[in-house]
Amino acid sequence: MKKPIVLIVVSAIAIVALILLVVSINKEKVERKAMSSVAINPEAEIKKFESKSSEWGKYYPRQYDSYMQTKDSDKIDDVLKKDPGLVILWAGYGFAKDYNAPRGHHYILEDNINTLRTGGPTDDKTGPMPTACWTCKSPDVPRYMHENSELDYFTGKWARLGTEISNPVGCADCHDNKTMKLTPARPFLARAMDKEGSLPYADATHQDKRSLVCAQCHSEYYFKKTEWTDPSGSKKTAKVVTFPWDNGFTVEDMEKYYDDINFKDWTHKISKAPMLKAQHPGYEIFITGAHGLNNVACADCHMPYVREGGVKYSSHKVGSPLDNLGNVCMTCHRGTEQELRDTVARKLERKAELHKTAINVIGKAHLEAGKAWELGATKEEMQDILQDIRHAQWRWDYSIASHGSFFHAPEETLRILGTAINKGQEARLKLRTVLAKYNAVDYVAPDFSTKEKAQEIIGLPYQKLVDEKVGFQNNLRKEWIEKQKQKGLYDPKAWEGIELKTSYN
Amino acid sequence: MKTGNIIKYIAIGSVITVVGLFAYMVYASNMISYLSEDPKVCINCHVMTSHYATWQHSAHRESATCVECHLPQESLVDKMIYKSMDGAKDFAAMTFRTFGKHIKVSDSATKRIQANCIFCHRETVSQMTVNSKLYQENGESTQIDRNCWDCHRKTPHGSTRSLTATPDNIGVKEEP
Repeated sequence: MKKPIVLIVVSAIAIVALILLVVSINKEKVERKAMSSVAINPEAEIKKFESKSSEWGKYYPRQYDSYMQTKDSDKIDDVLKKDPGLVILWAGYGFAKDYNAPRGHHYILEDNINTLRTGGPTDDKTGPMPTACWTCKSPDVPRYMHENSELDYFTGKWARLGTEISNPVGCADCHDNKTMKLTPARPFLARAMDKEGSLPYADATHQDKRSLVCAQCHSEYYFKKTEWTDPSGSKKTAKVVTFPWDNGFTVEDMEKYYDDINFKDWTHKISKAPMLKAQHPGYEIFITGAHGLNNVACADCHMPYVREGGVKYSSHKVGSPLDNLGNVCMTCHRGTEQELRDTVARKLERKAELHKTAINVIGKAHLEAGKAWELGATKEEMQDILQDIRHAQWRWDYSIASHGSFFHAPEETLRILGTAINKGQEARLKLRTVLAKYNAVDYVAPDFSTKEKAQEIIGLPYQKLVDEKVGFQNNLRKEWIEKQKQKGLYDPKAWEGIELKTSYN
Repeated sequence: MKTGNIIKYIAIGSVITVVGLFAYMVYASNMISYLSEDPKVCINCHVMTSHYATWQHSAHRESATCVECHLPQESLVDKMIYKSMDGAKDFAAMTFRTFGKHIKVSDSATKRIQANCIFCHRETVSQMTVNSKLYQENGESTQIDRNCWDCHRKTPHGSTRSLTATPDNIGVKEEP
């Protein structure tokens, strides 16, 4: 009789205690959820793929304000003027027309619209470029893909989507609208990661995603021709942005990928070489460097944790860490700011030295090849040479096109530049033999030391391109903006205070 | 006999209830997760989110987890003793809400952390500790009985770490 009663009494005490404890635990959990939802603002009613960043900014004012400060980086820096050899290297390709150093994210769409590369379309079917050229410029891209389809988006001329693409890169490109979790909005990144295999997208951690949201755009890509049938049954060809990562992340892996599928971006106007344009393999090069290998994310340096009064948040003023060295480098490195600045400057000098040599070597190779053709060289004689030129320029371009490579991975960048110069000189050695055969052993390539001279050598109708562009700016672009306003896509805040700034006005 | 039976059943029922409630408590409190050393376990309690977020943005992120600084590293027995003691203390503080707005490390943890600073950075500070022993008879750590973070004030949690200091940390929101 006694034992059960003791048991009941002890149990009753335990039950009361446990109930109180469970109630307390659950209360804490509710509180935790409430605290977490400070980031996941309960009042925030942001639509899926909302492309107007000011809508997100209502709930995340600090992040939005800092993002808007990318406005500060507004200087137009004409790279073709600085390195006129580039005009020769890109003869027959858009980059020979106009190429500026990138400005802040705030200007990304404005600059895409104004560059001579996107031409001066007069309606939605004209102009030199495909829709794919919008891909990394705007959160309206994932929105459009979501509302229509990815293949629909990648079909047609650039101008076809002029009325749809209205906002510069912003919140929806990297964040989920409900949870704010980092979510790269473009589907081709996950596809490429899964194919490459070393980090399948599903395995990516939060820290990985602090780089991957950048990698969805700051990577090497090409436009893969893809046949598809639209809902009405007509056959179409899409040009789908694709990362050439199937064989791996190195420059050689991607070179092999392109060689295996016989891909070329264009045929060089002077040398007739089947060329590759390296885009901006920022992520691929970064992961080979000291910072990448130590699990530092892009956001750690380009979006540092900053303090504002009593609150800390990730600055969304994406730009050069050198502008904020104390908040960035000094988190991990000791020494003075000046020492670090000098180290970075020295790295840049080293790259610039090999970079200039490579441009000079490859530029001359193109012109010498052009001369060889002129004198009657045969396809058989030129084939090997053109392949060398293709590889030399691909490697040179790959090493520098991401701008930050000299710092992200100096050894890899200089190594690639070394192989580029070597390949270029090999082509020139072989070219000398061909030139000698056609009695032009003394041939000296013409001077391409200014942008104007270089554009004249390649026969670029510069003024015509400018006139077409200005015509477009005064007509079609204005129509686009009106239509964007009617569709409710236009965000005045995204365009406030932007003046027309280009290399040609 | 009949009453005896009823009491027996009540007794069995109450024991089952206790077991059931206990099982639910284990589930609700994420109890099993405390066996792990994952820093995310420390944000089971939301009052630690600022500490987690500031650490996650610091250089120590790559080389030291929460317990690697806050618990003794040299002996497993000590580690378990202090883990249990701190755990019990935190349990009481959370349940009875006795923690204040400004959470500070205990004196006991101060000693452990200081020992861990020296343990990892021994190459750098060996001469300092030797010197301090020459000049300072009573102090257990460095000169004038100071701790490393009396000078390195922002390591690793930064100078801003109140409960509301890091409102928008999406990485911290992941469930442990």
